[in-house]
Amino acid sequence: MNRIGPGGRGTSSHRIATLAALIAALLIVAPWRGQTVHAATAPQTGEVLGYASPVELLFSPDGTRLYVLCQDSGEVRVLNATTYAPIQTIVVGHVPRGFFLTPDGNRLFVANSWDDTISVIDTRALKVAATWHAGMEPSSVVEDSAGKYLYVANRISNDVAVLDAHTGSEVKRLAAGRGTSYMTLSPDGQRIYVTHVYPNPAPLGSQPESEITVIDTASAEVINRIPLPSIAGAFHIAVTSNSRLGVVAELHPKNLLPMTQVEQGWAFEDTLTLFGSGVQNKTVEVPLDDLDSYAVRPFGVAITPDGSHLYVSSGGSDIVTAINLPHLQRYVHTQHGPIVYNLAAGAHYVVARIPVGKDPRGMAVSADGRRLLVANRLDDTISVIDTPTSKVVTTIALAPSRRLWTENFGLQMFSEMTIATPGQRRCPACHIDERHRNAKRMKLTPQQQVEALRRGQQAFYTASYSFHGGMGCTNCHIDTTMDGMRWNFEPAGLGRNIVENMLLEDIRNTTPYDWSGINPNLPTQGGPRTEQFIWRSQNFDVRTLADLSAYINSLPARPNRWRLPNGELTPSQQRGKQIFDRTVDDFGKPIPLANRCNFCHSGPLGTDHRKVDVGTRGPNDDSGLFVTAQLTNIALTAPYLHDGSAATLEEIWTIYNPHDQHGRTNDLTKDQLNDLINYLRTR
Amino acid sequence: MRGPLFLFLAALYAGIPAPSRALPPGTAAPLGADFIVTAAPVYVPLAEMHGRERFPHGAQLLLVHDGKATPLVAGFAETADADISFDAKRVLFAGKRTTGDPWQIWELTLQDGSVRNVIQTEGDAERPFYLPGGRMVWAQRTASGFRIESAPDGHPPKVPFLNPTAGPGILPLTYIQTSTFPATILADGRILFESGYPLGEGATPELYVVYADGSGVRALRPFQGRARWGGSELASGDVVFTQGSSLARFTSSLLQQTPIAAPHAEYAGAIQETASGAWLLSARRTGEAHDAIDRWIPGAAALETVLAQRGDDLVEPVLLAPRTPPRRFPSDLHPWKYANLLALDSRLSLEGNLKQTPASVRLETQDPNGRVQVNGTAPVAPDGSFFVKVPENRPIRFLVLDRNGAVLRRERGWFWSRGGEQRACIGCHTGPALSPENRTPEVLLRTTTPVDLTGDSPLTATRTDVQKGNTR
Repeated sequence: MNRIGPGGRGTSSHRIATLAALIAALLIVAPWRGQTVHAATAPQTGEVLGYASPVELLFSPDGTRLYVLCQDSGEVRVLNATTYAPIQTIVVGHVPRGFFLTPDGNRLFVANSWDDTISVIDTRALKVAATWHAGMEPSSVVEDSAGKYLYVANRISNDVAVLDAHTGSEVKRLAAGRGTSYMTLSPDGQRIYVTHVYPNPAPLGSQPESEITVIDTASAEVINRIPLPSIAGAFHIAVTSNSRLGVVAELHPKNLLPMTQVEQGWAFEDTLTLFGSGVQNKTVEVPLDDLDSYAVRPFGVAITPDGSHLYVSSGGSDIVTAINLPHLQRYVHTQHGPIVYNLAAGAHYVVARIPVGKDPRGMAVSADGRRLLVANRLDDTISVIDTPTSKVVTTIALAPSRRLWTENFGLQMFSEMTIATPGQRRCPACHIDERHRNAKRMKLTPQQQVEALRRGQQAFYTASYSFHGGMGCTNCHIDTTMDGMRWNFEPAGLGRNIVENMLLEDIRNTTPYDWSGINPNLPTQGGPRTEQFIWRSQNFDVRTLADLSAYINSLPARPNRWRLPNGELTPSQQRGKQIFDRTVDDFGKPIPLANRCNFCHSGPLGTDHRKVDVGTRGPNDDSGLFVTAQLTNIALTAPYLHDGSAATLEEIWTIYNPHDQHGRTNDLTKDQLNDLINYLRTR
Repeated sequence: MRGPLFLFLAALYAGIPAPSRALPPGTAAPLGADFIVTAAPVYVPLAEMHGRERFPHGAQLLLVHDGKATPLVAGFAETADADISFDAKRVLFAGKRTTGDPWQIWELTLQDGSVRNVIQTEGDAERPFYLPGGRMVWAQRTASGFRIESAPDGHPPKVPFLNPTAGPGILPLTYIQTSTFPATILADGRILFESGYPLGEGATPELYVVYADGSGVRALRPFQGRARWGGSELASGDVVFTQGSSLARFTSSLLQQTPIAAPHAEYAGAIQETASGAWLLSARRTGEAHDAIDRWIPGAAALETVLAQRGDDLVEPVLLAPRTPPRRFPSDLHPWKYANLLALDSRLSLEGNLKQTPASVRLETQDPNGRVQVNGTAPVAPDGSFFVKVPENRPIRFLVLDRNGAVLRRERGWFWSRGGEQRACIGCHTGPALSPENRTPEVLLRTTTPVDLTGDSPLTATRTDVQKGNTR
């Protein structure tokens, strides 16, 4: 296997220098795969070497260029598609998540998810020619075959924006599902298939369900919503060249079962759904997992031009699964009843599990179908797979990105290393405490802090710590957010104390953790508790747990889309803030201190960190005391309350607060309640 | 204690010829790695499962280097069952100081040749294996056969993370009335063990798994009618075992076993995978009187003899090389004297799904004398689910009944639940390939309090004693 550095195949002296640096780097940092590029390039004073984090790949139509979308560095890297030598780096917006190349190869559209913009790149000049506004958190972009409209999937506004492909002006919005994220244009150009990373709202206790939103490109209208029963999150779709068969990668959770184990697909299954005329216009869900191993978080899907093979990247398992597509179709046609629960089904169609880099995401197949390129997000590499042999033949290392050091994560890095164990009278981890004391004295350089955060990020996204590698942190915390579902953890009792999942961003100062407040800090939350009751297998080592905690502590809140750009509040939001801060109700009666919104939801994060009974205890809850939830980006995190019983913010007060125990609200008019909610959305 | 091994290793590392016990003429071929093997005039692999001796004429551990074998330790009348520590610095083994002694667990430190008795027990203790986290397991002879037990191995783990299975005492891991023997420790931390099928009363050897705290016992794969024993795990995760006298394997992708097209021979027990991917195994070729140690490259047409010794069966080869420790299992047992069991759909079974929904489920237990007791019945919800509280640490089995109390299906064997275990299963003998549907079981929608079938509750249906065998 060849490993090609960022210098590619330039001059011979360059090659020799690169090779020498590479060998030296390998000797120095061999145990930390993927960091070789960093060892080869020293940071300058005042800057650190950051990570590129490739997430998507595209070949140019003539096959000469490879475009690499880099999420953490906010760049498009342009490489020679044969030698993989760098050609150009183009800076785009923050956290780009998807891109699309026009059929003529002249324009590259990039969806910048945290900027709510689309970068339009002129590929002849290799420059950003325009930046267009899109919806809330644009995550992918597709142009129709006619070049008339540009479709943008918006994750937070749950819709698809239709833009004029020449001017960028918005023509209309198409309602899609919750967490609208990825789109694929069918090869015949007639349809755009849209997937969603969160399940659609559903009645309490029912199975999660997502959908494939089908857009007709001729009319620019939604013409179908293909239900994906039992699916919580769906990612990329690939369609065969004859447009008859579509395949979507997805997560099939088991959140309605008490989580007594991980094995046997008890917590999650990783699956594909086939749809289209190739399966009689039905949907057929098939497993990707085996009996004793998993293909966790299937993300990218690619089909060879001849339709012989299907490839699926699994971010949590660091593998690409190669599937014989005709075998899969034949197997599906011969089966009666559900296939998805048969973990031995894959033996009929899986031909290889190909180890690649960390957190493999988007993939690209060469025009001749002989090369499959895989973007390994968390080790900054691209694996080149020889499809006839299903072997990685080359690994392309991307150069680090240089950035000025402005953050200081070190203050939080080792500040929470006291590990308590639920139900333990004595600390069983005194050795860890000793390490903690040592760790607190450590002074990390900015570069070391960046590297520690990267290791924490890798720990967050891998499934390797759980039993049989069945799941990772991000299975439930999709892209560090939440999954919109309720879970029943085993120690809480079977069928008891079911709790809703929480957003992880900006939680640094929101201790204690867990709705019950049982975990005083992140190392406790992610340490023994996670090991015993979630992974059910040997957990992170001490350093990894520290890195993981630091990474989670470093997660900022994503931009709040309900605030005005100038930071001011709309009149409705201002009225809502007055209600939030009020001391007297609509009848002129003083509101007791503890019954005012801003008493418990105090401070910048909207929590007083205390356990409070707001009257939401259900029949299967052991206690009515729950930690005050933080309000950070609360508009995104439905359902609400500890058990997810409130489907919307409105329901918190219109259904679940009959006795004003959750704040004095029953005096409010509908308009006042709307104002309050409009204000809360700005938090 | 300083024995021949110490001298041998000292000589080996000093680069001078090692003193070697004179061996009978045999076939030897360099393997490229040292290994330990048990040599015995007679080896009856499954004898102990039926109450007889595996090594009726004794056994001795040999250290093999470049095809030459020397005794691993001196001062023992019999030695067997070597297991190498993960860092390859120590060897656990079963040994008898004198012929009349019971087998006990000993540990040899390779650096200085010292030997210590790891744990003293009454009766035979054999087949030891290192567990991660500073523990070990072995088979302990009891009145009702061999039982797998666990205890600290005397070497505190470097990182003493929380592990409720840890403690100073002996922790029994199997709780049935028939013998159980550890076969290997799987990479996932579970103990692969041999016992009869059906578990708890059958005589056909079969492979089972249990977590390191004794919870979660189940068959590795559904029974297929023939004996399976001597399991070991490859780097790929495949489990290779002996069936009859052939080799077969389980892969992660298949429920059923697949045959291994190895050269014709009688194979005996676990194999060892070398760093090169070749297998070290014990085989007896046609016409030969004893098992030899052979090397086989999977797919090759022939075996290559590594070591043969006239008059001895050479079995249980183990490579003397560092290896990746299995994953440590973090026990989550609660401090209870009972267990909770949830079945999602008792209609489902690999033997065919029941067409009618059971009305109730009966729990039977077995006392130490093998007598069967009925602990009571619990209702089954319309979706086939039930939720019950069962006694800890004793053989139990379920029978599903129709509305008239007639038995619709009974579990074939016995299993157990550890105190504080909360276990959920899909159905009766559904096998490990069936993943559960994402659906709240109806029984939990009705109540989250399990029906008490511990036999201790006055609310439980009348507990009755049944003579052994009467219910079958």
